[in-house]
Amino acid sequence: MLRRDMKQSTRCAFFVFFTIGALAFLLPPPVVAQPKGEPIKIGWIAELSGTWSFFGATGLTAAQIAEEEINAKGGVLGRPLQVVPMDNRTDPAQAASAARMLDTQHKVLTFSGPTSSDTALAVYGYAEQNQVPFVVPVAAFPRLTRPGTQWTFRVEPDAVGWGYAIVKFVEKMKPGASIALIYSDFALQRAIVAGIKYQAERSGIKIATDIIFPQNATDATVQAAQVKSKNPDFVFVSGGGAFDITLTNQIMDLGIKPEQIIHPFGAVKMILGWGPRSVGSYYGTFFDHSLGGLNDYGKGLITKFTKRAGYIPAYIENFCYATVYLIKEAVEKAGTVDRAKFRDAMRNINTKEVTTGIPMVFDKNGARKEYMYFLQMKEVGKDTYQSKEAFYIEWDPEVIPVYQLAP
Amino acid sequence: MAYRRAAVVGLVLLALALPFLFSVNRFYAFILGVTYLYILWSSGMNLLSGFTGLMPLMYAGLAGLGAYTTVNLVMKFGLSFWLAMPVGALAAAVVGVVLGLPSLRLRGFYFTLSGLVIQTALTMLFVYIPQFTGGDTGISQIPPPMIPLPGDKSFPLAGVWFEEALAIAALLTVYVVHRVTRSTWGRYLVAIREDDLLTEALGIGVTRYRVLAFFISSLFAGVGGAFYAHYMGFVSPRSFDVLTSMNIWLIVGFGGQGTILGPIVGTIILAPIPYIMQELYLYKDIVYGSLIVFTTIFLPRGVYGSVLFHRRARAAAHSAAQGKSEAARS
Amino acid sequence: MTLESILLNGLAVITTGLIVGAIFSLVAAGVTIMYGTIWFPNAANGQFFMLAALLMWSLVVNWGLSPFLGAVVVLTGSIPFSLVLEKFLVRPFYNVPNRNIVYFIMTLGLAQIFAGAFTGTYGRWSDQYSLPAAWPGAIMLGPFPFPRTRQNREAAILRGVDVRRIYRFSFVLAMLVITMGGVLFAMAYGFDLTMAWTMAIIGFAIMIVGGPGSVLGSVVIGMIFGFTQAVVSLFASPTLAAFSYLIVMLIILLVKPSGLFAR
Repeated sequence: MLRRDMKQSTRCAFFVFFTIGALAFLLPPPVVAQPKGEPIKIGWIAELSGTWSFFGATGLTAAQIAEEEINAKGGVLGRPLQVVPMDNRTDPAQAASAARMLDTQHKVLTFSGPTSSDTALAVYGYAEQNQVPFVVPVAAFPRLTRPGTQWTFRVEPDAVGWGYAIVKFVEKMKPGASIALIYSDFALQRAIVAGIKYQAERSGIKIATDIIFPQNATDATVQAAQVKSKNPDFVFVSGGGAFDITLTNQIMDLGIKPEQIIHPFGAVKMILGWGPRSVGSYYGTFFDHSLGGLNDYGKGLITKFTKRAGYIPAYIENFCYATVYLIKEAVEKAGTVDRAKFRDAMRNINTKEVTTGIPMVFDKNGARKEYMYFLQMKEVGKDTYQSKEAFYIEWDPEVIPVYQLAP
Repeated sequence: MAYRRAAVVGLVLLALALPFLFSVNRFYAFILGVTYLYILWSSGMNLLSGFTGLMPLMYAGLAGLGAYTTVNLVMKFGLSFWLAMPVGALAAAVVGVVLGLPSLRLRGFYFTLSGLVIQTALTMLFVYIPQFTGGDTGISQIPPPMIPLPGDKSFPLAGVWFEEALAIAALLTVYVVHRVTRSTWGRYLVAIREDDLLTEALGIGVTRYRVLAFFISSLFAGVGGAFYAHYMGFVSPRSFDVLTSMNIWLIVGFGGQGTILGPIVGTIILAPIPYIMQELYLYKDIVYGSLIVFTTIFLPRGVYGSVLFHRRARAAAHSAAQGKSEAARS
Repeated sequence: MTLESILLNGLAVITTGLIVGAIFSLVAAGVTIMYGTIWFPNAANGQFFMLAALLMWSLVVNWGLSPFLGAVVVLTGSIPFSLVLEKFLVRPFYNVPNRNIVYFIMTLGLAQIFAGAFTGTYGRWSDQYSLPAAWPGAIMLGPFPFPRTRQNREAAILRGVDVRRIYRFSFVLAMLVITMGGVLFAMAYGFDLTMAWTMAIIGFAIMIVGGPGSVLGSVVIGMIFGFTQAVVSLFASPTLAAFSYLIVMLIILLVKPSGLFAR
């Protein structure tokens, strides 16, 4: 193939190709497991590249910590537990094909992993169609457990319920208050707002204004001025990605006080991003290192994770960690490695989240009995922060018609 | 000449046989299916970019239109895929021409940039009309196409048969592009690409032929989109954004635009990489990008394009040498 | 509306328009200089923008430099970086016909490399980055010191000027301008990795409308786009505002495709 009369550059190119091609093809292809103390596999489909890659990667780290701990203590049913990661590139179509690969190639017991609702929905479609159990650790879209769901379970409370919880919180702080809504146009935010609006009517909370930003917005000064001019008691702030920081800062630039701001969720980087300026603001969460009453597993997770990743874990990491333990429990309850038996065990399980002791029970559609904390920021440093619990609420997944509000 | 024909027949048979050879391993079979799909797409784009000299960045958006139209017709109206797909492709082609028409009279790179704008608008459209597209969260559980059988039964096009169907579709596309470029009309396209002012001066309607090329190219975009949707079982706006257009165009440019085999070579090299490297997710972008950069530096005509170029240069040098020695002898 | 809210809204529009417009102008100016002079359409310009912003973050937040000092470091650092790029990736193609297509493909590849590198490094550390609030006044000064006109290669050859030197200078200058855009963005707003591609498209869009090669066009149109978003969002939803600039672009393309300020 390489001939003397070919130009130097062409020869060079062939070498380059050969090397790159060889590199790509010498990688071990996905292998069907050899029977021999065969591991029990969880197909962990996560956003490891693309826009959501930070969350997918951090969740995977937490899941891997759980995997190591479980295997160090003898595994599950005497066999090793294996979290098999697969990148979905934050693209739903890729997530579907990752699901296909894990199902047909690796023959996993169950899927898990997505931290983003759209990729989760893609896996959901495959799972329901092909009867593969799917335990969603972090993805809040109600559609994941819509009536008729047979194989999917959602660990994180749903987004519309979040909106419900926010209104209940506002109601407790100041009955009859007004709240301004300002947020980015993503499915998650829309679902939360749908919940807010529904419950606000029933709780006597007024919506002062409702401002939506397109997904790639950079600046919110004008809209912040509009919010200020309505003089709301509270402001619900939720920007997409880094825009959240910009949005929060600009709202405060225009005179809204931190104590008036409610963020629907606070992951660690977001809280650090809001910074000392946001001390006094509230955020919703499901797990936070500031919470009192964490048990040994919870404290252990915080220590191990901080050591491994360099930053403190929050609710995303917690759900991924707790989901792996949940799966372990369900396999042990089923007594065997069988998809249908596993699914049935999950349906009937009545246990607690391993880190916090909060109950884990699923309804007939796979939705979990839900809960939320609201914390108030007290101190923010460069790498750490302290918050204080302000409110806690539990509710049934269908306390409000979530499936109609976010179809 | 005969040996060339045999080679073509051999390749066609190989293409048809591969799905069966790969069918034991669903993972590799899937990669094969995706490769066929991209061969279809890149050949369609090659018609426009390679032969007409235009770089259509809205290609993915048109594919999306074909996909969403087909999916809606099948899932909401119960139409058979085989009826819905042509409708979807036609919709893509018509919209493509309507949107592209004003920019077709733009030269070279302006056309490209306007394609970029139109693509961005189309992606936004897909996100903001959820009744048609399911918005951000997309449409899932798309059923495989059904093949009607005698006796009122039908059987789903799944597994190895879907890959086979994709192989056939890809082969047909390549064939059509080949016929178009060999035709008189195809030569006009090349003339337009080389020097559109001169061609215009010679009385050949430049815009008219560009529109025609655009129409056919968009048809293929739509066809590919429809197949993609049903093969993946899931579509979302992100499947059809600028980066997708650029990836397809990259494959064409990398393989060698303006040649028939170029897109095929490009697809075979580039399309499997993201899947094969799925476990090395941190490096795949870097590998992919490096491959492209190296190719542009060392093989600016694309992989296959460079091979062709060298072959012709050698043939020309050879006949020139022959001519000299003949002249010397006489 | 009360006088107070009119003033408040008006001021908000002006500051937003100026800052956003300035950043847009810079990115577009960089893109247009490269394309107009060297015929180098840079699909990776968003990644360079991102690199500048991320480096600012590292210097200011991680290493504790002041934003001003950080800006100086990043800007001066961009010069040797651009020179290296120019030598290995740009110069080999000066005499290639259709080099704009070659450059475009190559920069697409480059963009992939950067995107992958960012995801594996910064992307593992956080999903969002921001600098402590910088001084808004400094931002406004950004785009104005660069009025230039398009280089004409043939005329330059006739005048015996070394064209390659002009190309090199243009490339480095364009990169400097894009870097400044990134630096300013980091100082003014929070950012994440998706910004790269968004800015790239905006840069190209402004270049189309203003006319490739015309820096004046880029600045004017950049400012107009910055203000358009701000003004339209006063009266309509921000979504409409975002669509509005796309519509403006399409209209320009159809009516005057060579751009508003082309020669």
